[in-house]
Amino acid sequence: MNKPKTLLLTYLSTFLLFACGETSNEQLFDSSLLPKRSIEETEKVIKDFIMAEDGATIEIPEGFYEINTQLILDNKSNVTIKGAGLKNTVLSFRNLKTGGEGVKIVGNNITIEDLTIEDAPGDGIKAQHTDGITFRRINVTWTHGDKSKNGTYAIYPVQCKNVLIEESVASHSRDAGIYVGQSENIVVKNSLAFGNVAGIEIENCDNAEVFGNIARNNAGGILVFNLPGLPKSDGKGTKIYNNQIIDNNHENFATPLGEDPNGNTVTMIPPGSGVILLAAKEVEIYGNEILRNKTTGIAVASYQITGFPSEAPNWSPYTSDVYIHDNQYERKGFPDLTREMGQLISIYNAHGKAKTQDIVYDGIWDESLSESIETNPMNLCISEPKISELLFTRFYLMDGDDNIESFDDPNPFSNCKVSVNTDKSFVSGL
Amino acid sequence: MLIQKKSLAFISSLVAVFAIFFSCKKEESIVETTTSEIETEEADGLYPYKWLTTYAFFDGEISNLNPAEDLIFYKPSSSLFTDYAHKTRFIQFPEGEKAKLVNGEFDFPEGTILVKNFYYPLDFKKQEGERRIIETRLLILEESGWEAYPYIWNDEQTNAQLKVIGGQKEVHFKDLEGKDQVVDYLIPNRNQCKTCHNKNEEMAPIGVQVKHLNNDLDFQDQHGNQLEYWSQIGKLDGFEDPGQYPSLINYENESLPLDERAMAYLDINCSHCHRTEGPASTSGLFLTYNEKDPMKLGINKTPVAAGIGAGSHKFDVVPGKPEESIVIHRMNSTEVGVAMPELGRTTIHKEGVELIRNWIKSLE
Repeated sequence: MNKPKTLLLTYLSTFLLFACGETSNEQLFDSSLLPKRSIEETEKVIKDFIMAEDGATIEIPEGFYEINTQLILDNKSNVTIKGAGLKNTVLSFRNLKTGGEGVKIVGNNITIEDLTIEDAPGDGIKAQHTDGITFRRINVTWTHGDKSKNGTYAIYPVQCKNVLIEESVASHSRDAGIYVGQSENIVVKNSLAFGNVAGIEIENCDNAEVFGNIARNNAGGILVFNLPGLPKSDGKGTKIYNNQIIDNNHENFATPLGEDPNGNTVTMIPPGSGVILLAAKEVEIYGNEILRNKTTGIAVASYQITGFPSEAPNWSPYTSDVYIHDNQYERKGFPDLTREMGQLISIYNAHGKAKTQDIVYDGIWDESLSESIETNPMNLCISEPKISELLFTRFYLMDGDDNIESFDDPNPFSNCKVSVNTDKSFVSGL
Repeated sequence: MLIQKKSLAFISSLVAVFAIFFSCKKEESIVETTTSEIETEEADGLYPYKWLTTYAFFDGEISNLNPAEDLIFYKPSSSLFTDYAHKTRFIQFPEGEKAKLVNGEFDFPEGTILVKNFYYPLDFKKQEGERRIIETRLLILEESGWEAYPYIWNDEQTNAQLKVIGGQKEVHFKDLEGKDQVVDYLIPNRNQCKTCHNKNEEMAPIGVQVKHLNNDLDFQDQHGNQLEYWSQIGKLDGFEDPGQYPSLINYENESLPLDERAMAYLDINCSHCHRTEGPASTSGLFLTYNEKDPMKLGINKTPVAAGIGAGSHKFDVVPGKPEESIVIHRMNSTEVGVAMPELGRTTIHKEGVELIRNWIKSLE
């Protein structure tokens, strides 16, 4: 039996199972039971980060560390940061008064493993401009139960190259639990994301594989987005396979209750979304269990649907070259009505009001490529063995709100394949 | 001369040590008292020193910050807001060496030291009156590049000690309106310095760039362009004509055009991160003084990773509508996670918010 699976099963067995799942404060373990470390012991950890040399191993012994400044590893190479175990070493940033994240890493070939990061006011752990970054068996979460105070991203590599996230856990972030942005060569595997607005998100990245993960009880399970106007202007090549994407029906708490979405795209996600593609390119989704996501199993959308300006250099708002095949689906519940996209699905889907969908396609296409979407100009290919049992909706939204139509026929998108090339060989060099 | 400096340092550190020893106030995590510190520190040229006095930057009583002969006073045209702290800045070149301009940027000799003192007058109406010095930050150009060393002053104002992990001080002062103010002043840890002092992940000065120093300044006996002055005293090569180089204005000068003041403010306060070479390049928001691309300036641009920082707003800058602009929302907050800049500010810079508000109002 392989080890990662065992580990995940252990986690699962320790979870308190909340049946409703609309909101959750579930924790993996109670960190307040750990011995509290003294000011001197805490200052040693801070100093170890500051004084670290290339090749160093920073060991953080068991205990609960209350850290009131940021832990920053600054432009070092071949450094390992090692706790005494995910449930044994806890770095709490609940008293941090300034700084964008709890832990920040810059460098080359950095590994951080076997610890927990709690309650950072901004992001939990951020790695930037790092070639070779491994997050292994880390847990990043917010514990105070008031989700409106939780941070943005839990595990946040950005502008990195060769990123491995494995056997890690991310929960309760107000945006994405595991968020990889503007990076290339990425593997996210055997990890768990729950209670976040978005479980796992790959944004403006090239060459990513997301597999063997559990994304459950988030508002959205797994997302592939490309946003406009960024230094890494677009991204392509993502495989999402063998994941459990289940019960992602958590309320969307990215904005306070009762407040409309703001400019953060994640605030628009309708609770009950399994997988969402937004302006994504070259994505293959297969072998996943996509179960009981109340709004839709998979949503394929173009950026125009956000209503935001959709022009930027070296970037396309359209989602294109998508291959969806051999996934398992289970429908349960009623689509979300708190977000516009939930309302669209609930009211205008092709199968009847308030019916959960398995796959929805916004049907927005680049008219310079074809006059008709029937020719499948954006190259969306769906090859599900039980397609006849699935609820598929393709919308027609090209005339705006006045004339919304929907179609249940998957045939224009059924007789094709897309070959998505990814390469995870970099992992052996980490 | 050297011996004299050394003995001065010796006496000062002794004074400091005794002062700490007999101080009743407990300052845990700010100043450590261990027996090893009672040993004198030698000015051996191996930086960093543990005590600020060892550098012998200042003549006479150190709290007067009266610069030694080899320190040159400088001042950027606009100042980065740091919780209303006042700053005095000096540069020290290694003996007999000078800087040169390469492609319009400074190339300093190894051993150059930038000395920046942060202090609060007890009464802001009496700028020259009694004051409390909080910290002195050194940027030292070492073989491997710039290194940052924060020194925290003791309450007796007799010395400051290197404290790489930073610290926190409560500061009281009377503001210009005569109101009592309390600031929870945070001294960054050494690696936090690079959150702002960062160019392509290398430590870099912020104020000491040609665009900020290419301006006129009063010296002890003259008024003139400070880089021309550096040239005259043989500390800078290659600076021919001030007109050839960019020169930022002082955003506080209300007689100058609003858009130029706004860009000067955004440049000195934001662009160290919000530029292609800075850590906030991830956001796609670029705030250098010469940025012209509306999207990069945040105009009708959606945020990327702003999280709660976005408030209830959709765009970074909404022309004509400061109250709907994320930029104003974040400048006008002290909540960690919302407040921008992320470091060095626990109070709102009202004048700065007002300036950027007016600028956004003026946009069409």
